[in-house]
This record gives sequence, C-alpha cells and structure tokens, in this order.
Amino acid sequence: MLWIFITLGVLILFTMVAYNRFIRLRNQADQAFSTIDVMAKKRYDLIPNLVAAVEKYMQHERGTLIEITEMRAKAMQGNLSPNDRVDLENKITRTLGNIQVAVENYPELKASENFQQLQGSLNEVEEQLSAARRAYNASVTEYNNSVQLFPSNVFAMVFNFRSRKWLETPEEERKNVDVKKLFNS
Amino acid sequence: MRSFEEFEHYYNQTLFREMELLDARRKKTQKRLWSIIALTALGMAISILLAAFVIDPARDLHFLLIAVVPLLVLMAGVIAWSTWGRDKNFIADFKREVIEKIIHFISPELSYQPTNFIGVDSFERSRLFLTNIDRYHGDDYVFGKIDKTQFWFSEIKAEYRTTGSKGETHWQILFKGLFSVADFNKHFEGTTVVLPNRLGNSAIAKVLQKANLARREKLVQLEDPEFNKYFVVYGDDQVVSRYVLSTSLMQRLVDFRKKSDKPIYVSFVNSFMYLAIEYTKDLFEPSMFRSLTKFDTVKPYFEEIRLATGIVEDLNLNTRIWTKQ
Repeated sequence: MLWIFITLGVLILFTMVAYNRFIRLRNQADQAFSTIDVMAKKRYDLIPNLVAAVEKYMQHERGTLIEITEMRAKAMQGNLSPNDRVDLENKITRTLGNIQVAVENYPELKASENFQQLQGSLNEVEEQLSAARRAYNASVTEYNNSVQLFPSNVFAMVFNFRSRKWLETPEEERKNVDVKKLFNS
Repeated sequence: MRSFEEFEHYYNQTLFREMELLDARRKKTQKRLWSIIALTALGMAISILLAAFVIDPARDLHFLLIAVVPLLVLMAGVIAWSTWGRDKNFIADFKREVIEKIIHFISPELSYQPTNFIGVDSFERSRLFLTNIDRYHGDDYVFGKIDKTQFWFSEIKAEYRTTGSKGETHWQILFKGLFSVADFNKHFEGTTVVLPNRLGNSAIAKVLQKANLARREKLVQLEDPEFNKYFVVYGDDQVVSRYVLSTSLMQRLVDFRKKSDKPIYVSFVNSFMYLAIEYTKDLFEPSMFRSLTKFDTVKPYFEEIRLATGIVEDLNLNTRIWTKQ
C-alpha cells in the first residue's frame, strides 16, 4: 500500500516539474518574440525619417518610397497573422536595404551628416532585430527539444504542448536582389 | 598591417645594427658573469682546501675557517656581480631599441611605456576572472588609435593567495599574458563574457555550464557549432549578447583563436571590449643566453606584437556603420 503512495507521489512530482518547465520555456520564447516586436517598432519609427531625408533627392525611386510607407502603415495596424507579419517584416528589411543601396547613386545625399546618422541608426536596428530573431530561435530550439525528446515528450503530449516554428533570417534574400530591376519596374 | 616579409626587410635594413650593438653588450656581460662565477668557485675551492689541509686541524679555528671563509668568498662574488658584473640598463635599452621600434614599425600611431601597465580596475571591470586578486603587476604598456579605434594593451600577471594545510602561503596564478582593452564599434549596455570552452558540448557539459554559480550572467547558447567548440558565452541579456556577437564576429573570434593558438578570453562590457590571451612565458623580455643577431630571436617579438595590435583589424572594430563613431 505504502509503495503505491510513494510511486504516485513521485509521479505527481515529476509531472509538476515537467509541466512548470514547459511553461517556463514557452514564456521565455514568448518574451523573446515580444523583443522582436520592440525592435520592429523601433524600425517603424525610423522609416518616416528615412523617407523625409531621401525623397528630395530620390525622385526616380518615388514608387519604392511610397511602397515602404504603405508597408509600415500596414504593419503598424497590427491585425496580421503571424506568418503574414513575418513576410511583411522581411519585405521591409529587403526594401530598406535596397533604398540604402540606391543612395550610392546620390553622392550628395550619401555625404550628408543627417543621412549618415540615419543610416547608422538603421543598421543598428537591423542588427538588433537580427539578434532578437536569433534569441527567439534559440529559445524555440530549447522549447522544441523538450517537446520532442524522451522522456519529456510524454508530458508534452499529455498537456498538448506543440513544437514551434523558427523564424528564418531574410539576409540571404537581401543579398540576391537585383536592385536595378526593382527600381525600374 | 605589416607583413612578415616587410619586417624581415626592416630588420635587415635598420634593426640589425641596433641588435649587433646590444648583442655585443650581452656577450660582454655574459663573459663577465662567467668569470665571476669561475673566480668565486675557484676562491671557494682554494679556501676549503687550505682550511682542510694546510691549517692545523688541532686548532679550534678549523671549523670556522671551513665554513666562514668560503662563505665570505661567495659574498664577495655576489657583491662583484651586482656592482660591475651585470648590465643594469640592458633590459630597458633592449625595450627602447628593439621593442619600441618594432611597435612603431607596425604602427607609428602607437605609444609605448615599458614599465607601465593596464590598471587592476580595468582588469576587474572586464568580469573575465571573478576570483579576488591579491597581487597584480605587469609591464609593456602600449596604447593608441588604429584608424577609428582607441585601444590599449599590456602584459599582466594577476595572482591570488591560498593557505596550505600548515598555514603556509601559496601564490596561484589567475591570469598571465596579454590583456587588451578596445573601444567597441557598437553601443550596448550590460555584460557578455566569452570564455574558453573546457567542458565540451555534451549534455552534461551544458548542465554544468548552465549551473555556473560564480557568475550572475546566464549561459547564452549560440548557433555556430565551430564557435561553440572553442567558447562558452555568458551574458546578462540574451538579445544584447547576440547583438554584440553577430554571426560575423563569431567567425572572426574563431579565426583569431586559431591564429593565436592559445586560450583566449573576451568580454564586452558597456561598449568596451576586453581580450586576454594566456601566455606561460614572459613577453617582450630579452634573454641573456640567446644571440640577438639571429632573426629567429627577433621573430617572436614581432609576431606577439602583431597579434596584439591585430585585434582591431581581425575583429573588424574599425567598421563604424552603426551610430557609434
């Protein structure tokens, strides 16, 4: 009789520990995701400044500037599904990169202190955003390991904790973009 | 950065003449040292023989003569060595004529103070070594600006005291080697510490690394397997640590670790970078017993200084594309 109680006690203890661990890891991932949000918002704040600084010079790229302003407005509305949001953020990253490359055609703009400072801030935000993404992916890896590895996967099944998806870094896409084509279309 | 061939040329053209003069002094000093040793040994042997055989053993003075006279000869030898047997300015002159010239050859922007060193407060601020320091000294302080990056380095030896079972004091080395501080190219707050990975990457190692009670910083698990093979990272903010350790900086640290082929410790604290390279030998010191006119003797000095000054370039600290200028 005593043995049954002991076994039951140990089992309850294990379940508690496992459950709390899942919650902790999930919260950690959520927190990491919210950091991405903070960085993304910091970037939205920079976009109007960038547009204001370059529009006087970049008459040929008007379309791109309007496009980025629209994307910003859409992202800030906040009623997008997570997947659409990620796609949109990646598109913003790409477009911002393209604008910065196009600036090479305007030496006067490029040399202006105002723009250089802005570019510094943008690079900083991009790097922080990428750091936040990597932090999120690391916490998702830790969470997913718990969900998928034995013996904790048994508890994951019982409590219905599911694996999460990683965020892919859009850097590769940025590298392969044909800038000329983008601006002439 | 100056190449090896350039240095060989500079050595043959300029440095060699200084080295010859220094080497002549070294040989002279060495000769004097040997003659003092030989004379002292001879004097001691003669006095012992005299005491043993010539002087009448029946007298009371016998023992005293055997013990005291050779000791007096030895003392005379030591006094002779310290008054005219050694070249007191040799090390200082060597540093001025050789080390300083190599440093200026690598970069004229750098300044050199042979007897100065980086203060203990900077060393502690790095949070690389958390043990209390009881004895701290160093030398060979180099500082200056390479392009846009301000940086400093010096040789450092930090020790702590332990007490043995009989109450005797032992000095343990906490760190010995090159310690450098550089202005980092990004603004950030908080601490990120990169330490040599001595436990590996097994599941048990991860548990032990996570449970590091000595550190207030938490383990940061990064995604680059080669980087993880060499290093383990602790930081007080997961995102800031990744902001500092970009994927390219991780790669550069791996390359730097391979190049130096020694344990390296790096930390990033409030927009500064601290980097320590462990050495077992004393750096930038001349040897009394090795010829200075051989290129092989000078080569290591150049390599060590180049490695230390190369940090700025190797870790890309001059890239100022962020808001910090």
